[in-house]
Amino acid sequence: MTTINFTVNGQPQSLDIDPTTPLLWTLRDHLQMTGTKFGCGIGMCGACTVHFNGSATRSCVIPVQAVDGAEVVTIEGLSESGDHVLQTLWVALNVPQCGYCQAGVLMAAADLLKRNLNPSDDEIDAQISNICRCGTYPRIRAAIHRAAEELKG
Amino acid sequence: MKKTRLDTPTLTRRRFLVSAAVVAGGLSMQLRPAGAQAAETVGQGSELSPWLVIRADDTVVVTVPTPEIGNGASTQQAMNIAEELECDWDKVTVEFADFRREYQQPGSYAVGLQPFFGGHSTDHDRMPYTLQLGASARERLKTAAAQRWGVPVEDVSARNSVLTHSPSGRSLRFGEVAAAAASVELAEEPALKPQSEWRLLGKAQPHKLQLPNVVTGQAQFGVDVTLPGMVYAALLQSPVHGGVLKSYDPDAVKDMPGVRAVVVIDPSATPGSPVTASPTFGFEGSELRSGVAVIADHYWQAKKALDALPVEWDDGLGTFWSSNGKMHQRQDRVLDQWAGTALTKAGDVDAVDAAQVVEATYRTPFCEHAAMEPLNGTAIYSQEGLEFWHPTQDMQQAFWVAVDESGLDPAKVTFHQTLVGGGFGRRVIGDDVRAVVAIARQYPGVPVKVIWSREETTRQGSYRTQLAARYKAGLGEDGMPLSFQGETCYSGMPLNIGFTDMTYAAAGNIPNVRLQTSELPMHIATGAYRAPCYNAHAFTVETFVDECAVAGGIDPLEYRLRLLAGWDPAWADCLKIAAERADWGKPLPKGQGRGIAISNWPHPGEKQAGATVCAVAHVEVSQAGKLKVHRLDFTFDCGRIVNKDAVAAQLEGGIIFGLNMSLNEGLTIADGAVVEQNFDALPMLKMADLPEINIYFEALSGHDRFGIIGEAPVGPIGPAIGNAIYQATGKRLRSTPFRDADLSWS
Repeated sequence: MTTINFTVNGQPQSLDIDPTTPLLWTLRDHLQMTGTKFGCGIGMCGACTVHFNGSATRSCVIPVQAVDGAEVVTIEGLSESGDHVLQTLWVALNVPQCGYCQAGVLMAAADLLKRNLNPSDDEIDAQISNICRCGTYPRIRAAIHRAAEELKG
Repeated sequence: MKKTRLDTPTLTRRRFLVSAAVVAGGLSMQLRPAGAQAAETVGQGSELSPWLVIRADDTVVVTVPTPEIGNGASTQQAMNIAEELECDWDKVTVEFADFRREYQQPGSYAVGLQPFFGGHSTDHDRMPYTLQLGASARERLKTAAAQRWGVPVEDVSARNSVLTHSPSGRSLRFGEVAAAAASVELAEEPALKPQSEWRLLGKAQPHKLQLPNVVTGQAQFGVDVTLPGMVYAALLQSPVHGGVLKSYDPDAVKDMPGVRAVVVIDPSATPGSPVTASPTFGFEGSELRSGVAVIADHYWQAKKALDALPVEWDDGLGTFWSSNGKMHQRQDRVLDQWAGTALTKAGDVDAVDAAQVVEATYRTPFCEHAAMEPLNGTAIYSQEGLEFWHPTQDMQQAFWVAVDESGLDPAKVTFHQTLVGGGFGRRVIGDDVRAVVAIARQYPGVPVKVIWSREETTRQGSYRTQLAARYKAGLGEDGMPLSFQGETCYSGMPLNIGFTDMTYAAAGNIPNVRLQTSELPMHIATGAYRAPCYNAHAFTVETFVDECAVAGGIDPLEYRLRLLAGWDPAWADCLKIAAERADWGKPLPKGQGRGIAISNWPHPGEKQAGATVCAVAHVEVSQAGKLKVHRLDFTFDCGRIVNKDAVAAQLEGGIIFGLNMSLNEGLTIADGAVVEQNFDALPMLKMADLPEINIYFEALSGHDRFGIIGEAPVGPIGPAIGNAIYQATGKRLRSTPFRDADLSWS
């Protein structure tokens, strides 16, 4: 057991925990924040994507000891009241089907738009390597383009 | 013990009654079978949930007996009710039905509906009931308002959750008269409005009701269930299906951090249901798979301990299947005999004097559903009862499996449906429910959340049935088939939709037909997989017909049109429109090609039934053999649609599912076990792999049906691409996945 201190969505957290515990399971089991999803456990599917010191990161392959002192933002903290432009458009454009992978996709997309307000299809494809088994990819791409337009005003 | 039986097929034909009751200052509406007693208590906090509640604050709560797997079934059902209720859509919420009501009052939900708690919401049998509920509630509200105002009910109108008396301009909110409406007695239940007056259905395209919670991380899938004092279990079952746990050493892990118990999953310990059970699909396939589970304070602790647990298996007979090559060899041995059971016969295929014979063998593999939410479930068991939370695709099936594995009286079993993180058929049969209950039963009094790792989810699949098919056609001088003979050899759950009832045989333009089936039994667990077996038959039939067209020297589009002459004209419309939009016939550079395919689920042998789907693929293959699918042009006919955007979403998803299935999916069997375990070995389409996808609505016939749409599009994608690859390269692909094929050309 090790004491790990970090912030999640701006809230300081201090946990006595097995330091090898992946950040994913730390969030889900220890902090009861289940918005971040378990999909594969090997960093391949992206369902567990969070922002780790500001960058989209797959939390299932990050041991919690690596986040000591770091800032983590999860889907629960993407916006104050669920009104991030991507969240609004995801609903308006009916992007999710089952919705299980979408928290991870939203976190990856939000990271992309922070850095690039004019993403091409290729740039979106490169950033969003998440797996969606329902096949919502065309709508994800359309929603990101529209979000970029809205952010540019 | 007295056995009782719920005879659902009989119930579906029984009449239902509408009844109303007051609940929490509002109105609740129920359906019940004619002759049954109305429930004494209904509504919030009660174990008997009504279909529809209108609260004093105008909130409309629709109880849905359909799981929500992402197809919008729950939202659609709410729309059906709202259409007649004339309520404000923004006031509508949905809750999952409590199956115990269906158990205690058979027919409460299942009357006239699909006789199980799964599926879709626009079914011909189901829709009139939800519409009626809305209409009956609306008329009670109108009557209550008219009574309060002392005016004729004919002068009261309902719109947007407001009741208006036009002559005086007075108005009341639904919620203000909801309680009074509960005691209104109608002389007869109102007639439904004609479809031409629908204002929501066929017009509105609202977002799925659960989406605001999905995008904020608040939505509760099965794996998100969190209960006070909950512990976690990780499990490992025999990697070779049918194998049994030979030994394990719990002492090696019992002192690891957080570990509470190591329990055995023992198929012989299933208590069995104390009453005659009515699982939708029976219990076959839901049996426990021998294994072991570690229970710990946290999932990571359970998983670490499980990984460290010494385990030995008795693999059983499954190891006979040493490789895919061995399976294929045995398939050929079966098919070589042409000795299967003939299920479709016309004329005499052996008496044909053909100008040429076309013959080919096709294969489609076991595939894993790979729903993004790994298998999981949560349960708390004691002698007093079992309460469980599960992301199932079929609530009736899940309930009875839980009864069977707990051994408890059904009245003591409580089931909470959660959102489902992808189903595709994997979460139908309830083997996952059974494993959860078996584990929780051995750790009583404490809620246990059981999570399959992705690797375990994959190893313990109930895969797409493996199939081989051989076809033989005798073509006449004109290139058209005089005879058509086929045999399908199943390894796993067999389903003949799209094979023995294939449209080309049903259309009657082939005089001599013989379609037969055989089996190559294997130990590998199989089950429903997005349009079961049809997804393979569509590939084998549509590839073979394409081969016949080529052999006959006839354009593949023209060939299909001739075979379908006199058939439901929507088929020809689908073919022609897709072809036209895809520039069919326009020359392409070397290495590029177009292919076409058409199929129908689940009624290929009937005119104007089910969903007919057609795809044209445009592909490019480099000389080195790299495949690029440029474009898919897609048409369909399911009669009519009630929500265009929801239909489009299902078509998009089904097309992409079919694309992945055909290009990427196929499991490797080595010494009886599945080799691939996680997404590093299971290639899945990502955004970068998408072709341009164009979906056209112009082939919709307007026929009076709302055919189901989520499964059909999986069928024609693979054969359209394979047929296009042939045009591009001259290489004929007779098995999937295509990624295994050498497509190089010179």
